[in-house]
Amino acid sequence: MQRTVIKRDGKKERFRTQKIINTIFEIIKGMDVEDDYELVFRIIKELDLKVPEKVTTEELDLLVLKAIEHLIPKHPVYDTLATLQLLKLINKRVDRRFKSFQAYLKYSVGAGFLKEDLLRFNLSELEEAIDYKNDQLLDYFGLTTLRDRYLSKDQEQEVIEKPQWFFMRVAMGIGNNEQEIKAVYEKMSRLEYLHSTPTLFNSGTTVSQYSSCYVNVVDDSLEGITNKLTETAFLAKYAGGVGTDVSRVRATGSHIHSLNARSSGVIPFLKVFDTMVNSIQQGGRRRSSQVISIQPWHYDIEAFLELRETTGNAYFRTPSLNTKLWMPDEIMRRIENDEPVYLFDPGECPELVTATGEDFSEKYNARIQQAEAGKMKLYKKIGGRDFFSKYLFKLAKTGHPWLTFKDRHNRHNPCPQYSIINSSNLCTEISIPNTPESTAVCTLASINLERHINSERTGFDWEKLAETVQIMVRALDNILDKNFYPSEAARKNTMDLRPLGIGIMGFAAALIELGVAYDSDKAVETARSLGAFLKEQAYKTSEKLADERGAFRHYDEMKKAGNGYDYPPRRNAVLMAIAPTATISIIAGTTSSVDSYFSNLYSRDTLSGKYIVINKQLIRALELKGHWNDEMADRIKRNNGSVQNLEGLKELIDMDWFKTAYEVHPNRQIDIAAAFQESVDQAVSKSIYIDEQLRPEMEKIYLYAWKKQLKSTYYCFIDKVIKGEKYTSQVNKRGSRKGFGQRKEKAPDESAANRKEVYGTRTVQEILELEAREKYGNQVVDEVMNSKGESCPTDPLLAKLCPSCE
Amino acid sequence: MKAKLIGRTSVRDNIRLSENPSYPVFRELYEKQKKAVWFPEELNIQQDALDYHHLLPDEKDLFDTAVGYFSSSELLVQNVLVNAFFPLLTDPHAKMSFSAQLFMENIHSDFFESVLQSFGMDHKAMYEVAFSNPFLRKKQSLIVEEIDKISYGQINPDTLQGQKQILRAILLNNIVLEGIFFYSSFAHFFALKEMGKMKNVASGVELVLIDESLHLQNGIEAILIMLEESPEIVDDEEFVEEIRAVVLKGLQLELDYIRSKFGQRSLLGMSYPELEKYLKYITDRRLTELGFEAEFNISENPLRFLQKEDVKKLINFFEVSSTEYTNY
Repeated sequence: MQRTVIKRDGKKERFRTQKIINTIFEIIKGMDVEDDYELVFRIIKELDLKVPEKVTTEELDLLVLKAIEHLIPKHPVYDTLATLQLLKLINKRVDRRFKSFQAYLKYSVGAGFLKEDLLRFNLSELEEAIDYKNDQLLDYFGLTTLRDRYLSKDQEQEVIEKPQWFFMRVAMGIGNNEQEIKAVYEKMSRLEYLHSTPTLFNSGTTVSQYSSCYVNVVDDSLEGITNKLTETAFLAKYAGGVGTDVSRVRATGSHIHSLNARSSGVIPFLKVFDTMVNSIQQGGRRRSSQVISIQPWHYDIEAFLELRETTGNAYFRTPSLNTKLWMPDEIMRRIENDEPVYLFDPGECPELVTATGEDFSEKYNARIQQAEAGKMKLYKKIGGRDFFSKYLFKLAKTGHPWLTFKDRHNRHNPCPQYSIINSSNLCTEISIPNTPESTAVCTLASINLERHINSERTGFDWEKLAETVQIMVRALDNILDKNFYPSEAARKNTMDLRPLGIGIMGFAAALIELGVAYDSDKAVETARSLGAFLKEQAYKTSEKLADERGAFRHYDEMKKAGNGYDYPPRRNAVLMAIAPTATISIIAGTTSSVDSYFSNLYSRDTLSGKYIVINKQLIRALELKGHWNDEMADRIKRNNGSVQNLEGLKELIDMDWFKTAYEVHPNRQIDIAAAFQESVDQAVSKSIYIDEQLRPEMEKIYLYAWKKQLKSTYYCFIDKVIKGEKYTSQVNKRGSRKGFGQRKEKAPDESAANRKEVYGTRTVQEILELEAREKYGNQVVDEVMNSKGESCPTDPLLAKLCPSCE
Repeated sequence: MKAKLIGRTSVRDNIRLSENPSYPVFRELYEKQKKAVWFPEELNIQQDALDYHHLLPDEKDLFDTAVGYFSSSELLVQNVLVNAFFPLLTDPHAKMSFSAQLFMENIHSDFFESVLQSFGMDHKAMYEVAFSNPFLRKKQSLIVEEIDKISYGQINPDTLQGQKQILRAILLNNIVLEGIFFYSSFAHFFALKEMGKMKNVASGVELVLIDESLHLQNGIEAILIMLEESPEIVDDEEFVEEIRAVVLKGLQLELDYIRSKFGQRSLLGMSYPELEKYLKYITDRRLTELGFEAEFNISENPLRFLQKEDVKKLINFFEVSSTEYTNY
């Protein structure tokens, strides 16, 4: 096939493999590669089928990238190569437009993308601080994510920002002076910590909305509902997820005084939120999201559990909303002892909404007595265990509602005089007092633990950790004053409490670096001491900041009123929150949050498309023993990313290090989250991964989570049983049956005997030969195979392509 | 004599389930299909509307044609099952397994119908594309004409000739149509997703793929059982060669269609040679599943991005509809 390349200026040129080969060698240059010919050969082989008869240079660049990308599951070296190729493509385009970082800044300010006051800094000093070598820390998935969603683009959607410019731009939107900016830039550029997605999107830009989550409270009135609907719309437009508590809204059948009619309850209103959330794109980059939380004694709870079902009355279904239970201890206790749970109307019992702990138990029991005495207008009695098992069934089936614990959150409320904590945010890590007039806001950033291992790899680099936390506290506190608040209620809460959310990611990856299995007591211990250390550092910094900038407003107000809190003044009411870090952990190239590796080989669906993620630490371990090869990769793939049942691996590596999420018992997952929770003043967002076989134990698992004092659980993942036919591995559906092959067995005829039986028993060599015969014809292959000494020593068929032999 | 899987039936027969089914495999397959049930409402297809209107003309054409093709083909499969197979199935468990398939085809129709409506596609033209496009028409005719021969009681299943014709029809419907033609179009959806486009529709297609791989298994089991029950079929050399040829004919028609769409260009990061190799890889798989020798001996799926369909999936729920929840 004669192929033609169309160049940028329209000129046509013959497609030449040699040119591509040179390009790839150019990328490899300087890399430590064992066998570069083999590498180039594989890429070319991959590319060959992709290149059509007519191709533009730009398409060709992308096809080379795709060819390399597809080899990533074979070896991390292809990941590095793909990253370098993508960097080259990005830089080439940006360089064509801007000769320096300053030129880009000035253009972006002029075009109205960036805030003008960024130009007040000493730009040359900042430009000098940019370290392009740090590009090499990014991996391919991380860089693609950056390119697709984070790097600034112009109106034609063309990328105008290099990765390092991006980090610097974000830092400039955070730091108050050159020194602060450089500190933040260096930390982020080295992937030692990252701010949350909204900050990375908007820092320094004219949008300036830095916060990830908002938690508002709906009052029991039509005005209250529509007001919060409006607030939610604006929060959703600019911000991250919105959490909304609807526990106050009266139940179906409750009396409405102004109309002398019966209420249709809380559920129909949720449909309005559902429709609205579905119609708002968050910052134009992803669909906005909201979680609705309710206390489980609400009379409408049974309909609430059904909200995410896909069948039934469409007006009572909310496919775009997430849902969550805000569970009091008293109800959990009743479930555990299988005592009945009573459902009430908050319109009739408003005191239950705001009561917590023992106070709630007393008030709840008083209502129960009234109910039993026939003095309540609206109530329902259901079996505790029945209720729980029905709830857990819905959780397994629809993924909703999640379970969060009201009293656990409130027990650690640092500002009870401000208000109680009325539910948590979308990702369940936020725990900030809020009211209908004061919407909680949290601005987050997460430490990458994998980048805080000491040089001897014996433990964490505590000094570096302390330094990172100090920088983070100052950076996050700065943000609070630069942030755009979509509602007055949100501004008020922040100015009163100045809450921060410092979290972590890469915990599982760090454990492997330290040779500690995730599924071990040692891991729990590590979590406990890490949590305590981070908290101590964060609080120390915040107390110091209070000296410099003053304590949070509510603290001072209480002190002035003679009702001061008994802790030393600090700048921020709360400081820690462990978020799921779904996307920023991809940028940082590490495991998310406190979770274990999901699997050693799995795919991730994201807005940028679908990516294969492979546990590089496992490959490194196997490579060290000389046992990483294509066959091993395929075996792991066939086992759905698990290595536990692979024969012969026990002797090579410590298998416990490489358990996948479903292979770690949920109780252990809970233990680790609980160990962090001891020190985290807000909450740990913990997804629970349950193997299908443990499904009958869900009740025990969630009771355990409650007993271990978790504040929040998040998604419940249950391993899916039915999977599609494997697309890329051999599958045997026929078993030992012969089917149409019977005839051959019975009377082997001429043609079958002559045709060499190759299926199933071919060696790699034979496969290569067959492919080559198909592609190049018999003559060429025979020539190569008979040429003896002249062909490449590793692969006789390389002669056709390998530049050394050409 | 023991009854065969395929034979004459009346409404009085086979109204009893046995604890020891004659074909336990169909009970297993029924259970598997039951667990795979899903509903189009689980996917937020509407979210892809923006994407859809920004597809390049060639991408849009490929997407539209694939959706149109599936829309009418899913209904075609339903017709085949009801009009042709059910009157011939003697075993109640097998019937349940094929009914489960029938129900899932309903879901697929429903799904593709909601795709058509979500993006305001030309409803009429879409349903006609399988017959108005000359290459697709050839593919459809291959199936339809063969099924016609066994419909309306035209054949006698108790004869060897009848068994052969039925086998051929099952092969065309469950192996060629669902196992080659459908797999070809699946790749187009996954390629779109690979490029970050039409992700929610592609999530639905992922579910369709899981279902279709079970339907394939239904067909393979039926064929292998027929061959075991009537070993004479394989003695007819000519017939065996004919069956092999019909699979390859199906492949050829698919390749003609792909060639007509891709020509010399590369679309969605795929080119004709790559797809050709992919389809040959899939065809080899279908052949060996039936006990034939592979025709092309292609050892690796050249569409590497499809390996992403093979491994466990972790979803960012805020961004894409999940296909990982269980439904029972």
